[in-house]
Amino acid sequence: MSVTMPVRDRIAGLFEQVAREQQRKLTPLTDDLKLLQSGLDSLSFALIVARLEDTLGYDPFDEVERFPVTFGDFVRLYESRVR
Amino acid sequence: MSADPIVERFVELDRGSDEPLYFASEDRRLFGWLHRSAQERTATTALVICQPFGYEAVCGHRCVRAFARAAAASGVPTLRFDYLGTGDSEDIEPHADQIEVWTRDVIAAVAEARRRTGAEQVCLLGFRMGALLAVLAARRCKEVRALILVAPVVSGPRYLRELRTARLAALLQSESDESHPPGAPTAAEASLEEGSIEVSGFPLSAAAVAALSRLDLMNAGAPQVAEALVIDRTDLPMAREWTEAIARLGVHTRYVALQGFVEMMMTASQFAVVPEAMIATLRDWLQRFHAPARARAVERTPIAAPSPVLSIAVQGLPGDNLTERPVAFGAGGSLFGVVTEPRAGEIRRRGVILLNAGADYHIGASRIYVSLARRWAARGYVVLRMDFAGIGDSHTRRGRPDNEVFPPAALEDIQCAIDLLRSDYRVGDITLAGLCSGAYHSLRAAVAGAPVNRILLVNPQIFFWKEGATLEDIQLVEVVRSPGAYRERLVSAVHWRRLLSGQVDVWRILRVSAHRLRLALQSASQEVARRLDIRLPHDLGSELEEIGARGVRMVMVFARGEPGIDLLRLQGGSSIKRLGERCRIHIISSADHTFSRMGPRAALEEILSNELFAHH
Repeated sequence: MSVTMPVRDRIAGLFEQVAREQQRKLTPLTDDLKLLQSGLDSLSFALIVARLEDTLGYDPFDEVERFPVTFGDFVRLYESRVR
Repeated sequence: MSADPIVERFVELDRGSDEPLYFASEDRRLFGWLHRSAQERTATTALVICQPFGYEAVCGHRCVRAFARAAAASGVPTLRFDYLGTGDSEDIEPHADQIEVWTRDVIAAVAEARRRTGAEQVCLLGFRMGALLAVLAARRCKEVRALILVAPVVSGPRYLRELRTARLAALLQSESDESHPPGAPTAAEASLEEGSIEVSGFPLSAAAVAALSRLDLMNAGAPQVAEALVIDRTDLPMAREWTEAIARLGVHTRYVALQGFVEMMMTASQFAVVPEAMIATLRDWLQRFHAPARARAVERTPIAAPSPVLSIAVQGLPGDNLTERPVAFGAGGSLFGVVTEPRAGEIRRRGVILLNAGADYHIGASRIYVSLARRWAARGYVVLRMDFAGIGDSHTRRGRPDNEVFPPAALEDIQCAIDLLRSDYRVGDITLAGLCSGAYHSLRAAVAGAPVNRILLVNPQIFFWKEGATLEDIQLVEVVRSPGAYRERLVSAVHWRRLLSGQVDVWRILRVSAHRLRLALQSASQEVARRLDIRLPHDLGSELEEIGARGVRMVMVFARGEPGIDLLRLQGGSSIKRLGERCRIHIISSADHTFSRMGPRAALEEILSNELFAHH
């Protein structure tokens, strides 16, 4: 699946920034990384989503019933809104 | 001047300047702290702190305390308090609209601050959702003359979206548990009313959710105050526009965006950092607002100050109430806790001491310690929820940091708590209990020979700790969580390709694998040594057998998938089997480390209660 690099980069950058702020050890980000094993918690994800809404202008979680399982799923959720 | 050796051992141990209290909000009682000021005789202004909601209040507890102490040191007496159904206050009716109830609580706190300090005017300091409540309360209460708002929630709907995202993310944990369908509610969760939400273990009723969804400060006009200081966050500044709007409507405003909000309130309590720049801004602003020229001698109404006590009705036993009271104990009253006592006439002197989970203060994760204490007191137990030195509302030992999860003097603090229950409450049978590091300290106290009858350990992540280790070291417990996954990564071609392209942290994998190997070898050698009656260091199995031989009952409860389960298997070895009924182990499905979901939390409460009551 093709990936829009800027969105992915922005998301990856935010994961790293939030982990740093919360003194968490972030597992290297790969598409198949389960978010549960990323080292971040639910509050971290809420923070990332809020900041993404601020920079990208939308919050795809408004319309989803389940949180993405992997980092790749998370990125694709945002990319699907860009297209 | 001779130095007081006790005061010397603790930072800011100033007996009497911080006063725990209860006060009424309509027909219910709230818990709070009045931080007295040395210049209070001339104070015309008091500060009331409006806490944030839920997990943010837990993470930021010690920081909010720092704000309160700084304001008091600046000459402004400060009341911080827990809303109904939060912290140490009375419980709330589950369907109540918390936004309305908590707004009324703020107004009650304003009245109480004025009554106790004699101040004519009150300034509200609100954090996040507490800032929103402060604005709502200021509209209804003319004594509120100024607002200080830290990272205020301006849009209720946007805040709700954040809460929903956090909740969705938290459900990932149960989705990883094959014994439970993805996202499916447990029996307890199914009983939640439609439209309500539970976030990180803290519920908001359907009425509160509906109220929040309608709240937007941008459409609400200006609060009826003369001045407002808005300290926004830098990562997501949300309040500049609103601040400018109320300035146009005549409020004298100051707006600053400062770093430190996430580190204060959205970071686990053991890592939380007091935002010094925000506190300095608060202090400067308060000094201008509460300038000495405006202060005058205030006639204070003397308030009788009996020992603060909360009386809690027991369902089904009218007139037979529990009592709850704050206690200062240990050297110089340096340690803090809350004791819940059974109804008068209880002759079985049995007690439980609940120890901090991480650096979360004495209410426990998701306020579970409050719930357990009241439940167990209703069955006749005296329950102490305590803070170790440097955590929650206890003072910090000189030379030690705040929020230390594994303080070297933890056993000393536990012994003080045991002495308190024995001397002041005549308790003869003592249970130690705790989650995560609280479980670790309970175990260590029993190993050290503390006079306890029972230990209840919930999700211990480690069984040995040496000073100088870091909390990051604990993350190495993942070596026991998924050894297969790491082995697989080492032999997988896909992972080697990623390794070569720099996408994999190979050192971490090797480090984890090496640690796993070391643990396995250590475990095997200890097993052999035990059979030969040789005692090796860090031999958990032998320690547990010794505790068992002294008649101490052990109960361990784990969330399924917790690394502590395999670590126990590795380090406890065959001793676990030999201990039989003396060491009971339970595993709960669909739970996360802190039991933040209502269903698994209810299951945990049930198991712990049954185990506690079983042999009495």
